[in-house]
Amino acid sequence: MTMTTTDLTDRSEDVIMEVSNARVSFGMERGRARVLNDVSMDVRRGEILGVMGESGSGKSMFADALLDAVVDPGVLQGELTYYPGDGEPIDLLSLSEEERRRYRWEDVAMVFQGAMSSFNPVRKIRTHFVDTLNAHDYDVDRGLERAKDLLGDLYLDADRVLDSYPHELSGGMKQRILIALSLVLDPEMLVMDEPTAALDLLMQRSIIALIEEIQSKHDLTIVFITHDIPLVAGLADRLAVLYAFEFIELGPADDVLAEPAHPYTRALLRTTPNLETPLEEMRPIEGSSPDPVNIPSGCSYHPRCPMADDQCREVDPEPYRVDDDHIAHCHHWDEAIEEESPVAVGGDDRTPTRAYVGPDGEDAEDPLVSLDDVEVHFEQKSGGLLSRAEPETVAAVDGVDIDIHENDTVVLVGESGCGKTTLGKVAVGAQRPTGGSVSYRGQDVWDAKDMLGGVSIPFEEIRRALQIIHQDPGSSLNSHRRVRAILETPLRRWFPELDGNDRIQRILGMLEYVGISPPEDYIERYPHQLSGGEKQRITLIRSMLMDPELILADEAVSALDVSLRVEMMDLMIELQEQFDTSFLFISHNLSNARYLAEKTGGRIAVMYLGEIVEIGTVDRIINDPQHPYTQALKWATPDLDPDDEIETADSPIRTIDIPDPSNPPSGCRYHTRCAKAREVCRVETPELIEADEGPGHQRAACFRAYDDHAYWNSEPIVEGPSEE
Amino acid sequence: MTADSHDCEPGPDDGESADDDGVGGILRGDGGQVGTPFDTTADVRETRWDRYGRAIDGYIRMPLTIMRQDWRSIVGLSIVAVYLLMGTVLTWTVEPTRTGDGPQFVQPFETWEYPLGTNEMGQDLFAQTVHSTGPVLTMMASGALFTVVMGTFFGLVAGYKGGEVDTVLSSITDVFINIPGLPLVIVLSVLFEPTHPISVGILLAVAAWAGLARAIRSQVLAIRDESFVEAARMMDVPTPELLIKEILPHLMPYIMVNLVNAARTIIFSAVALYYLGVLPFADANWGVMLNQAYHAGAIYRPDATHWLVVPMVAIAGISIGLLLIAQSLDRVFNPRVRARHADTGDAEDGDGTEPGSTEMMKQV
Amino acid sequence: MNWKIRRLGQAVFTVWAVVTISFAMVRLMPGNPVDYFITIVGPDLADPSQAYELAELYLNINPEEPLPVAYVDYMTSTLQGDLGQSMIYNEPVTEVLAGAIPWTLFVMSWAIFLSFAVGISLGAIMAYWEGSKVDVGLTAYATILTSIPFYVLALVMLIYLSYRWSVFPVGGRAAAELEPGFHWVYIKSVVHHAILPVLSMFVASGAASLSMRGNSIRVLGEDYLRVARLCGLSDTTIAVQYVGRNAILPMYTGLMISIGSMFGGAVVLEQIFQYRGMGWYLLNAVNQRDYPLMMGAFMMITIAVVIALLIADLTYGRIDPRAGTEDREAF
Ligand code: SF4
Ligand code: SF4
Repeated sequence: MTMTTTDLTDRSEDVIMEVSNARVSFGMERGRARVLNDVSMDVRRGEILGVMGESGSGKSMFADALLDAVVDPGVLQGELTYYPGDGEPIDLLSLSEEERRRYRWEDVAMVFQGAMSSFNPVRKIRTHFVDTLNAHDYDVDRGLERAKDLLGDLYLDADRVLDSYPHELSGGMKQRILIALSLVLDPEMLVMDEPTAALDLLMQRSIIALIEEIQSKHDLTIVFITHDIPLVAGLADRLAVLYAFEFIELGPADDVLAEPAHPYTRALLRTTPNLETPLEEMRPIEGSSPDPVNIPSGCSYHPRCPMADDQCREVDPEPYRVDDDHIAHCHHWDEAIEEESPVAVGGDDRTPTRAYVGPDGEDAEDPLVSLDDVEVHFEQKSGGLLSRAEPETVAAVDGVDIDIHENDTVVLVGESGCGKTTLGKVAVGAQRPTGGSVSYRGQDVWDAKDMLGGVSIPFEEIRRALQIIHQDPGSSLNSHRRVRAILETPLRRWFPELDGNDRIQRILGMLEYVGISPPEDYIERYPHQLSGGEKQRITLIRSMLMDPELILADEAVSALDVSLRVEMMDLMIELQEQFDTSFLFISHNLSNARYLAEKTGGRIAVMYLGEIVEIGTVDRIINDPQHPYTQALKWATPDLDPDDEIETADSPIRTIDIPDPSNPPSGCRYHTRCAKAREVCRVETPELIEADEGPGHQRAACFRAYDDHAYWNSEPIVEGPSEE
Repeated sequence: MTADSHDCEPGPDDGESADDDGVGGILRGDGGQVGTPFDTTADVRETRWDRYGRAIDGYIRMPLTIMRQDWRSIVGLSIVAVYLLMGTVLTWTVEPTRTGDGPQFVQPFETWEYPLGTNEMGQDLFAQTVHSTGPVLTMMASGALFTVVMGTFFGLVAGYKGGEVDTVLSSITDVFINIPGLPLVIVLSVLFEPTHPISVGILLAVAAWAGLARAIRSQVLAIRDESFVEAARMMDVPTPELLIKEILPHLMPYIMVNLVNAARTIIFSAVALYYLGVLPFADANWGVMLNQAYHAGAIYRPDATHWLVVPMVAIAGISIGLLLIAQSLDRVFNPRVRARHADTGDAEDGDGTEPGSTEMMKQV
Repeated sequence: MNWKIRRLGQAVFTVWAVVTISFAMVRLMPGNPVDYFITIVGPDLADPSQAYELAELYLNINPEEPLPVAYVDYMTSTLQGDLGQSMIYNEPVTEVLAGAIPWTLFVMSWAIFLSFAVGISLGAIMAYWEGSKVDVGLTAYATILTSIPFYVLALVMLIYLSYRWSVFPVGGRAAAELEPGFHWVYIKSVVHHAILPVLSMFVASGAASLSMRGNSIRVLGEDYLRVARLCGLSDTTIAVQYVGRNAILPMYTGLMISIGSMFGGAVVLEQIFQYRGMGWYLLNAVNQRDYPLMMGAFMMITIAVVIALLIADLTYGRIDPRAGTEDREAF
């Protein structure tokens, strides 16, 4: 590379961190892996630099490199220079042990994604702050004051939080505490590595909003690393895209999003589900990211790039200047920018947008599965006389009615802990409700199981008809069994007439059908030898082999990489058509929900604290949500519009944290967070009623859906956003 | 390439086509003669040998391959093999010794006639050691098996079933955990006076299974919540099959290690009880030798020290052998290690870029 | 807290179960002591029917009573502390054992404490220098230590340290000629006599250090350790408060299991060193077929273990804040 990225960028800018030719490599059995391949980057003082990459793109390595904190066997080489606001530039790689210790956290701090396990479980939060302050010889009292301020800014009750043990706090709280901890020494720069990946939408969005505030309040430079472009779209000033351990595009966020110059960036944007892009324009990216041991020669993207030519295969593209401040590592960036849809290879036949199949009412045909006033109350488990847990009842699902028809699709949306998974499991008979009933084609599922009353459909058949695909493809396959054994299990149970060779043939056929090839190779593999997408396909096949009527897909794509999600969703939709199955999807992500529901003509049901608060067809829920909670979810769903500035001021929720589900609020359960709540909402509980405006089907559980209700005359509840 | 190709040989161009239309071309509509992959059947019938071949491959060949590469298992297995040899071949070839066979207190390694020396009664210690091995090994095997079977059954059922069953089984387990093993066994042996090695082994195991049951139960509790178990339930896999095929393999490393460790515990306590004279003497064994030596004052007679040392070395030797096997067994059942020895693809060795994988039984 | 009460209930349940098992063993099992009185002792007596009275006197069980009544009687008298009459000492079992309990507790608590302290330190050292020569050497040492039964170690030490080189006394609780009391000479003698039994239990430190090593290495990979390092905390804080504390917690289970097995081991150890503790009496009773003393010693040892485990379990909450909030396995 003759010209480095730095040469192309404007040197007049005030640079806080200069990275040039940074490389991280380590030895593996298969050869030497380069997990950061000669990257160069200037971080400018006071900016928010978004770094975007899929898993396995080297983005965490980049974060680690900025703190010279690459974990062992990895070796960091290259040049990293930090320019403090006052004082001499610091060469990171020549620091002494003690200097490096001080550099970290005092100058540059970091927030990880694993907040759940980032605190020592046996020490109080306070000691974490005190230890850090002591280790850097800061005044502890003043430091704690600062910590309290920071925690307060992050909407936490500082005193309570400091006196808690980590296990007493929720994931969202810990994540915010980690942010406070990283800022307690007043660093100049903050590296955030997927700080919100494990959190719920609303929490994510709220934290993002807080980050902006904190950045301006503390004059911070932030490097924000994520796999989720929409998340940083409104946040970042500049955006850098990592692919195969290199930066392939860098520029002002607006430019990169509006006019991406690199084919990969374009493909990535297209494959990202959001609320606005027309479905016809969403496309999966074909192929998979390269292996760090075998990075393709020339342009590392060429095996997947539709525009690749010989030059691409041989010559590693230098940075081309697209614009003043916008560069792309692509020989043909100019064509890429012009091409209207450079990545579309498949035809439109793959995206049939169906119409909603039937009304959700009495006049419909017999529902496939019907839930009637379902209630699930959990008692904490106990084992023997010795279990330490205190019994506590949690109402995971509280009085839900829903019908699922043949060829129907319902997407349950909600934050974690809202009971959507429990409800889903009840619907497919994996969980016995503590109240209400579930019936399959009119036969009560649990009566069939217990042989109560006249059983018209035997439980066996119901069992087979209702299937499940789990969230974590890693744990849904038994790690001790080969693919062959895993897929043979349903066939052995349900098709005893097939012998071993028949089963194998059928399995090979299915594998081939879902694009796992060569299947003969795959059936002998153990699950850990498969990629996430492959695992998820195996689970999909496993349930399909039972020839089910309804499949519960519990966050079936959220564990996958962005570029694989659309593809996986398409596959499920395709199989649904092929085999006439109904789907009950569960998602915490409104964009995915929209994609699935719109493509299948299904409905979206929004859950909050064990209740369905709104249900309806896609366009109504997405375009005209009636319930304030749905509106908040929509607000929290980031889109690709870089102008979509987020501020806490217009946040539609009053508190960030979800109330304790074991002690849900009275009246409307949402009233503690609802921005439109009035006094009456505290005492009265709204029913799910038909929201009468506009075409389509939509029902909401909010007094605002009533024309004349005491609500309209009630006093608003006014409290600022605060910790409850 | 048809979806239901009848031969299992990958075509020469399969690898290629994976690149071209692999992931993107999911929807292969050209299903050949049959409508959907659901209806596919094979022409060739599966032979019994196919099945046996797979079983042998999984349960015998691969563990051996892995164990061959670990020095601990090589040493451990060799040690145990020596004891097995003593318990079988040598028992038939070496004459049992009687009182007055040789002179008193011949020191070890003095003559080839009495390689390990003789005791007060002129008995050949080598012959005594050899003839003790059979009963000791039997005791050990029966006791260890009983421990593991009881522990696994209680732990597995209590953990998986939960509820009432769990309460009852766990309470029984807790009581046995609280009762100190050796005193219980002493009292029981006084009452039962077992003589056959198998019954001695089982008696000794009464005090040993409960800890294992507890540990297995808590592991089952964790595994029970894994999605693959729920998936199996959704497929209506019968409970016994589910326990054995889905859950048990995950416990296998733990169980095997405990089987070996239980064997050590059994030997330790058996020898202790024989040494104390609590168990009635039936045949010669190392504990009986210790007891006789002790009562003959070998502790303070320098010329008789070897009488004590020989059985002690015998015990420590098999114990080390078993411990080494236990340590290396851990690897045999680890699917990551197994996969590296299978011919299909190479295992990911936790390179930092691999998206998170569930490392369940890591702590075992 | 709720679980504490339940934990207490569990201890009570265990004691009840042990007494019941004892009753069953004394009364119901083939070759049981009651039958022994009737079939072996009885015919030698002038009046064979006296055998029933003897059984009642020694064992608290009247063979003529129907089982349920006998059971209730037995339970009541046992719980009142009446464990029957020793046949060889002709004293109440409780009195015979009362003098022995403190000695066993003394030796065993030191043995448990020291072997765990040493084991944990060694394990920490091994983990700190993982992969180095120190680690390999100590691991081999710990493995060998674990392979040796404690009584073999005891015998070897007895042969060499006591009989050959006379460094330590050959047995007993204290020098016989000394007047017991809280004076220096006596205490020194007591300690001197206890050293070998305590050292023999050191084999337990091998297993402890191996598991401490494993735990520490696992903790070293935790996220919070990474954060602590990046935060620049001092090595001591990290070693003690982060690695040490979190690595020790899971060993609590192991500690509790060894309490049981060490108390069991006391039987053998006290015999080898002729140390008159509960185990020594138990064995003596066994050899002389003094059934009341045997059952009494068995129950006492068990109850001691039950109480030790109870204390250990209840104090666990002090070192692990998570205790009581999650379903931690307890013994
Ligand atoms: S350089 Fe060639 S292969 Fe690489 S992204 Fe550009 S067009 Fe595609
Ligand atoms: S009923 Fe009241 S609190 Fe509930 S969502 Fe409607 S406005 Fe908000």
